[in-house]
Amino acid sequence: MRLIFKNLNILRSTINAISMNFDPKGIVESAGTNLPHLFRFTSFGLLWKEDLVLHLYEEEACPPPFTKKVVENMVTVLSILGRQPIDVGQVKVQIERGGSKPDQAMLPAQAVLKSHLTLPLPVEGEVVGCISLNSREPNAFDVQDLQFFSVIGYQISATLKHCQQLSSIKNIAVYDTLTNLHNRRYFEEKLAIETEKSFFTGTPLSLMMVDIDHFKKVNDTYGHPVGDKLLCHIASLLKSSVRKDDTVARYGGEEFVLILPGASLEVSFRIAERIRDLVEKSDFETGLSHLRLTVSIGISSFPTHRARSKEELVKMADQALYSAKRGGRNQVRIFTP
Amino acid sequence: MKEGTGRGLPPDLITDLYLNLLTEIWEIASALIGEAILSLLFLSAIQKIGERHPFLLSLKVSEEGIGLDRVREEGKKLSPLEVHKGFQGLINQLTHLFSALAEGVINKELFPKVFPKIKEAERIVSLK
Repeated sequence: MRLIFKNLNILRSTINAISMNFDPKGIVESAGTNLPHLFRFTSFGLLWKEDLVLHLYEEEACPPPFTKKVVENMVTVLSILGRQPIDVGQVKVQIERGGSKPDQAMLPAQAVLKSHLTLPLPVEGEVVGCISLNSREPNAFDVQDLQFFSVIGYQISATLKHCQQLSSIKNIAVYDTLTNLHNRRYFEEKLAIETEKSFFTGTPLSLMMVDIDHFKKVNDTYGHPVGDKLLCHIASLLKSSVRKDDTVARYGGEEFVLILPGASLEVSFRIAERIRDLVEKSDFETGLSHLRLTVSIGISSFPTHRARSKEELVKMADQALYSAKRGGRNQVRIFTP
Repeated sequence: MKEGTGRGLPPDLITDLYLNLLTEIWEIASALIGEAILSLLFLSAIQKIGERHPFLLSLKVSEEGIGLDRVREEGKKLSPLEVHKGFQGLINQLTHLFSALAEGVINKELFPKVFPKIKEAERIVSLK
């Protein structure tokens, strides 16, 4: 009775530790640290269906054939219950090595998988992954181990579900739902970080404001669904025209804003011209016909324009955009004081 | 066992025997792995064996348990042998899944209950 009570206490603290994590990797690390208090095992794995990553926590000297067999077992269970065949080759294995425990210090190189418990992780009737406890000892697990392990499995499922919800809330907070670009809120935060960095180090930073010309006419002529489709098309053109570290955000309506860290005025002008040219030469599908669109672009740049705050940098780019509009549209204008 | 044996026997007898057995399997296995995982295993097994024995698709499974009413009705339309083969296939598939998950741990608990019932079903079906 005392032993069961002790084990239940360990189970409770293991569950608490698992629930404090926010991703599969953290869960495996936390479980790997806590599970040895409950079970004698050689490795513990979590296969996450979404990205097909198998996070494995195993002993230092665990031989590769052992690991291979664990991967095969978990993929088999996920294939059967996930209603979708998975090829072992598709699975990325990330191994976290735990230190050898005194009683397992002599893990032989030819150690093979002799017993395992593998359980699916259910979330609202769907299998989102599976967990596995593996041993080189035959019959290493009994009924109580299975009961405890399934309780841990349910906690992991609940934690992963919570992580997914958090991640989707985070996405809603920073992404524009129509274009999937970053939203204005994210832009403001990112610009604050980048301006602070540039003002401190003196590295260049350019800002680009892009506005679709005569977009109101498009909406009035073809309707808002077509207008929305065109916004998405322009958004993907912008995304494909910038560098890896640049930020593209929807500023509002048909206006977009780009943060180009490290880009001098010359570099940002070249990028802006490329975008303008690309849009001008693109054919946009309206459903009934094809449409040609153009964009106007305004640029401001640090340190060239001597902006002293992010607000000033935005204002300068906005003025340059206004100047491009007044100058006849379909052009790139650099801020002039 | 010869094809066609068991004619003239009420199929209810076999159906009831297997439905009791499934209920027992549910009770034992759910205490080990919980209802959510177990219902997934049952659904997977029903889907697979239901391809050859469609009457099994009328078994309703959720985390609350197994719904037996419709399968009882469907079973009445079939011969005892067909019902026996379908349920036997389902239980074999379940034990295969239990084995894939936990090797002998679950089956060791189930076999003492399952074997006598299957033997009993075979005996009933083989009666002329």
